[in-house]
Amino acid sequence: MSASVSRRPVFGRRAWHFLSFGGPGTAVYVCFVLAPILISLGYSLTNYNPFRGETHFVGLDNYRVLLTDEEFLTSLKVTSILTAIVVIVPNVAGLAIAVLLDRQSWFFSSLRTVFFVPVVLSSVVVSVIWTRLLDNDGLINQTLRALGVDEPPGWLSDPDYALYSLGAILSWQMLGFCVVIYLAGLQHVPQELLEAASIDGAGPVRRFSRITWPLLAPALTINTVILLISAFKIFDHVQIITRGGPGTGTTATIAYNVLQTGFVANRQGFASAMAILMLVIIAVLSGVALKLLQRREVDL
Amino acid sequence: MRKLFALLVAAVFAVPLYVAVVNVFKDGPQISKSPASLPIPPTLDNIRSALGRSDRLFWVSLTNSVIVTSLSIAVLTVLSAMLGHYLARTRGRWTRALTLLLLSGLMIPPQVILMPVTQVLRAVGLMTTVPGLVLFNVGYYVPFGVFVFTGFVRAIPVELEESAALDGAGRGQTFWRIVFPLMRPATASVLIFLGVWIWNDFIDPLIILGPSQGTTVTTGIYRSIGQYQVDFGAMFAMMFLATLPVLIFFLLLQRHFVKGLTGGATKG
Repeated sequence: MSASVSRRPVFGRRAWHFLSFGGPGTAVYVCFVLAPILISLGYSLTNYNPFRGETHFVGLDNYRVLLTDEEFLTSLKVTSILTAIVVIVPNVAGLAIAVLLDRQSWFFSSLRTVFFVPVVLSSVVVSVIWTRLLDNDGLINQTLRALGVDEPPGWLSDPDYALYSLGAILSWQMLGFCVVIYLAGLQHVPQELLEAASIDGAGPVRRFSRITWPLLAPALTINTVILLISAFKIFDHVQIITRGGPGTGTTATIAYNVLQTGFVANRQGFASAMAILMLVIIAVLSGVALKLLQRREVDL
Repeated sequence: MRKLFALLVAAVFAVPLYVAVVNVFKDGPQISKSPASLPIPPTLDNIRSALGRSDRLFWVSLTNSVIVTSLSIAVLTVLSAMLGHYLARTRGRWTRALTLLLLSGLMIPPQVILMPVTQVLRAVGLMTTVPGLVLFNVGYYVPFGVFVFTGFVRAIPVELEESAALDGAGRGQTFWRIVFPLMRPATASVLIFLGVWIWNDFIDPLIILGPSQGTTVTTGIYRSIGQYQVDFGAMFAMMFLATLPVLIFFLLLQRHFVKGLTGGATKG
């Protein structure tokens, strides 16, 4: 303990330390994050609708309805497919590109910059750019027609394609993040180890699978958990590009439905139950992913 | 070979970025007919019309974004540096519980809390105001700040603070004169990441500032999508102008970006 000149009693001093240093930040966090979660939890047990009179307690009814609600189950499926794409594609492509760019020179570090630019772009900007590109008469279909494809697909207007187009757009935006994380991981792989293995007769594939890949475990952990958390709450791109369509709910994620139900249909009790379920799923998924992936991490 | 291949992959990857930039300098018919062609001759009409809208959408949005972002990151840096220091330097059950509670905030999606947040803000009269959005940002992003600062404080020897206390410096003085200046890399990380996130944020200003009470650059672009159905040029111009500050910021501070991101990716 530091020798303080203060004569306040120990407890008062501690309380003062907390209030002066920790208090303000904690207070804002409690008011705008913790309390709202508890309020949401409370609402999820009611039929609250700000524009309709009576609010009463309905117990777990909202949750019970959700588990058989077709709209919710569809959004769960949509969100899962999107999350799977966004966790896998940028991870795999990011690793490949990181291996390709893993050379120390201004040339390769400027290419790294190119891949990272979409990460710092707003999702609004990314959405608008891609909406134009994937339009029925946009650049991509113009190119396909020029190449002789008579009827190129409606990337965003065909229910069979829209969800995968969204997945591609999100993967494009997140790719650079994975590239940077994997590059950092690659640069920490000791050269001596690779040289030693090479002298012992290990080829490039073996060197990668036996040395580099295990040492990239922390990078894989970070990428996977971050992608998982960001993909599961995707809202912006859906709101701007497809608005949940085409058709009914073909691209409506849970996060999108929460806001539609809560702010447009004003069924806030029901929407809160959806939001709480979403939070639980994210917590469980990222917790499990973290545990599983960290077990692979080895110390040098 | 590797160079050529890498260049090719990067070129394909960058097509959308290229299209977004060249179309700022082309007129309407050219944009829809040949989106990928070079802007020859380049025109500044799109930029002029985005800047000169009668409702001053771009200027209002830019002002709001600058105010919201700079206020939020300034307050966030101060509050999370102090809170992070407190958590790193005290022990006990409560500290551990509070740390855990804050870190779990890192994964909470805004959708889960936005409905009650609008009610909290309405109750204190700050709904649809800039201070309301700033307060929400502070609460929502404080976990990230705390996460960065707590880790950093642990690497600063506590003896420094003890000897300052022996010399008669109070706790606040010790923190601001000695500890805070040493945390410059952590401060840079917090300012950079939160600055970009808050500038790019879409859903929170959409809900909290509301459609009528003013827009940030992102909600401004969103609002112009409906109106610019035909005038893609002006829309691309607005996106270009709204992204330019963040892009310049990123290119200048690129090294910090990468360092901040990769701190945990390599474990030492």
